[in-house]
Amino acid sequence: MSPARRPLEGVRIADLTAMWAGPYATMVLADFGADVIKVEAPRAWDNLRTLIRPPLARGEHWWNSNAYFQEYNRNKRSLTLDLTSERGKELFGRLVAQSDVVIENFRADVMDRLGIGPDWLREQREDIIVVGMASFGKTGPDASAMAYGPVVEQLSGLASLTGYGDGIPFKTGVSYGDPVAGLAAATAVVTALIQRRRTGRGQVIDLAQREPMTTLIGEAFMEWAMNGRLPPHRGNESAAMAPHNAYACAGEDEWIAIAVRTDEEWAGLCSAMGAPELVDDSRFATAQSRLEHRADLDPLVAAWTGALTKQEAFERLSERGVPAGPVLTLPELLGDRHLATRGYYEEAEHAEVGTWAMHGWLWRTTDAGPCVLAPAPDLGNHNREILGGLLGASDDEIDALAASGVIGDTPVGERTRSEILASRR
Amino acid sequence: MTTAPADGAPGTEPLAGVRVLDLAQGIAGPYAAKWLGGLGADVIKVEPPSGDPARRAGPFPADEIDPEASGLYLYLNTSKRGITLDLEDDGGRELLRELAAASDIVIESFEPGYLAERGLGYEALRERSPGLVLVSITPFGQTGPYAGMPADEITQYALSGHMWLTGDPYRPPLKNGGSQPSYQAGLNALAAAVIAYLGSLISGEGTHVDLSAQETLAGMLELYGPFASQAGIQPKRRGNTVSAIYGTYQCADGYAGVYCLPRNYENMATAVGIPELLQPPFIDADERLRSNDVLEALLSGWFFQHSGKEIFELGKSHRFPAGYVATVEDLLESEQLRERRFFAEDDHPRAGAIRFPGHLWLSSEHDWRTGRAPTLGQHTEEVLDELGVSASRREQLRAAGAFGDGGAS
Repeated sequence: MSPARRPLEGVRIADLTAMWAGPYATMVLADFGADVIKVEAPRAWDNLRTLIRPPLARGEHWWNSNAYFQEYNRNKRSLTLDLTSERGKELFGRLVAQSDVVIENFRADVMDRLGIGPDWLREQREDIIVVGMASFGKTGPDASAMAYGPVVEQLSGLASLTGYGDGIPFKTGVSYGDPVAGLAAATAVVTALIQRRRTGRGQVIDLAQREPMTTLIGEAFMEWAMNGRLPPHRGNESAAMAPHNAYACAGEDEWIAIAVRTDEEWAGLCSAMGAPELVDDSRFATAQSRLEHRADLDPLVAAWTGALTKQEAFERLSERGVPAGPVLTLPELLGDRHLATRGYYEEAEHAEVGTWAMHGWLWRTTDAGPCVLAPAPDLGNHNREILGGLLGASDDEIDALAASGVIGDTPVGERTRSEILASRR
Repeated sequence: MTTAPADGAPGTEPLAGVRVLDLAQGIAGPYAAKWLGGLGADVIKVEPPSGDPARRAGPFPADEIDPEASGLYLYLNTSKRGITLDLEDDGGRELLRELAAASDIVIESFEPGYLAERGLGYEALRERSPGLVLVSITPFGQTGPYAGMPADEITQYALSGHMWLTGDPYRPPLKNGGSQPSYQAGLNALAAAVIAYLGSLISGEGTHVDLSAQETLAGMLELYGPFASQAGIQPKRRGNTVSAIYGTYQCADGYAGVYCLPRNYENMATAVGIPELLQPPFIDADERLRSNDVLEALLSGWFFQHSGKEIFELGKSHRFPAGYVATVEDLLESEQLRERRFFAEDDHPRAGAIRFPGHLWLSSEHDWRTGRAPTLGQHTEEVLDELGVSASRREQLRAAGAFGDGGAS
């Protein structure tokens, strides 16, 4: 059976986003069939291209190939246009006229400074859908604040909930605010497309990255309203159940997470541990008593897991219906047999890097076929195709644009340096 | 731009006229359905006669268990109508089929196979509604060796790669706060529902979305997942501080962070005002890394002398990314969020005065609905009326237990 039509085929997105939050939104839209035209400039490329430098970024045209950039920009096309030049801006206007959506995650004032704010965009196309993703929104006293994901996480409240219990708040391992905002922005785009089908009107969406993040901790607001309490850091423990923790397994830095919610699961754990007598131990007879005797219980579980590999413990627990999960390292995740069976990872390919595995569909639909149809585009890779085709420029005009630096295929100017990854070496 | 609704008249919301059945319980599905309702869809929440377990999760006022005052339930079920149906009963199942025939989107989070075993699988549900979108949310998806395996927040976090990356390198991997794997599945389910629904509007053909919480989380591993794959790198958790200019510090009144890329460094150094920071070795990105410990010590001392909010304000005025670890109390007092009308409010008869996040974004074309979550079975009669269920049939169904005890009394 041939793959089903992708639901967003025929939708064109002029994508000004960079880094992770915005490109995550347009990755979702591109995966589901939208024609996402990633607009960069020779002097203002997506910084993700150059955040990682050689030798970790490979090939002569190393700004095109690093895995971070590649993963979240697959299935898109690349157009360069210097938006600070009259000619670049004019061509961008022609692109907008043929697009359904313009999306950006600049600092709040940048679109207006470039002279391409919502009013100008609507002049190019009356029913355009405009999505801005400033960290704290386009309005209000904090509109001018800048943030990357960890700051968004701090100012969403989530960081205040995470910690081992010694008072120090912890950040999530990844820049969690970014994909959260990205998914919300993708939803906003599609919602606006649905509304436009009925009303014929476009819309302007002001998505503050911090706000969707804050919706992911709703119950903490209820706790405050009802009881005036801030949720404490619980480390890996739970207020409702025990055992509930990460337990060390054989080897160095090897762990398994176990959560026992019911008496049946407790009996399953006792059976897995080869300690059926524990079922009758009055300290552990009910969920409430297990919670009260957590300090006695955790060492018993840890003594058992400590003699096993995390995969051995996982097998014994899952076959007895006990919720358990080995703390997978990233290479282990890439090799996870369940994800492999579901075809989650797909082969990505870039001429200067070769092949590697990239995550495919975030969710599966009937007859979807492969998700990744094209690698992330080389800088300016589709200039000629888009300028000459969609925007009607002649070959001579395109040559002139290249000569004057309005378009290009090589980053120009000072290279932004790789600090994050370099510090890991 | 304007952020006020342009024409907030009824029927103009983005999803006006869309009918959603929310069969899910707990967090993920209800979170997705709540926002579909917020966007104007008519969401009918179908609970088992015993109620959604979120009703027993709390928090509760004064910690007294009350299924009509659970904070988690009240938050996740705004903008819905509520009915009870017992899917273990023939009549309950038939009513569900009738409801599905009148619906555009169904969201469910049963174990794989549960609905199909009861004659309510995707093909059965869409028989009378070919454009129907079914979104199935589970920890591991509908297929594969882990399908149906029991899971909890912490075990899902472990199996996604995120737990390995979170926490201090010399302590165990750390689960992040709240219930992020479930919320994340819910946010993805929301995106999946609207994308599939738009596809259905265009093609007339519905689709069955198989959403695995593990897969949604494994698709957001920043650079760590991709680099493990492409370059064979084995990243490990780094605590709060990746480098001196990308980390969290203790400040005068709590914790604050500066998360700068190299291009933000000079603005930060100028704001901090320690003259050395604008001199070698710190002014050069590579040299700075070689002196990272010295820089971290200098910044630690500076952070300790400033409050979190001062540091955030400096970030604003000097244009570098800085923040502080805000509590929910801080957020409720935030002038920014007040001006953006972020919080919804309700004076709830059982839960008291509550304020909670009320939108995902602001739009020039619509507002958000945040109507009070339904009591158990509150709208059963109303929905049966709309379905045209006769009084005599209703009586038979009730006697047979289709609504459980007292569901439609």
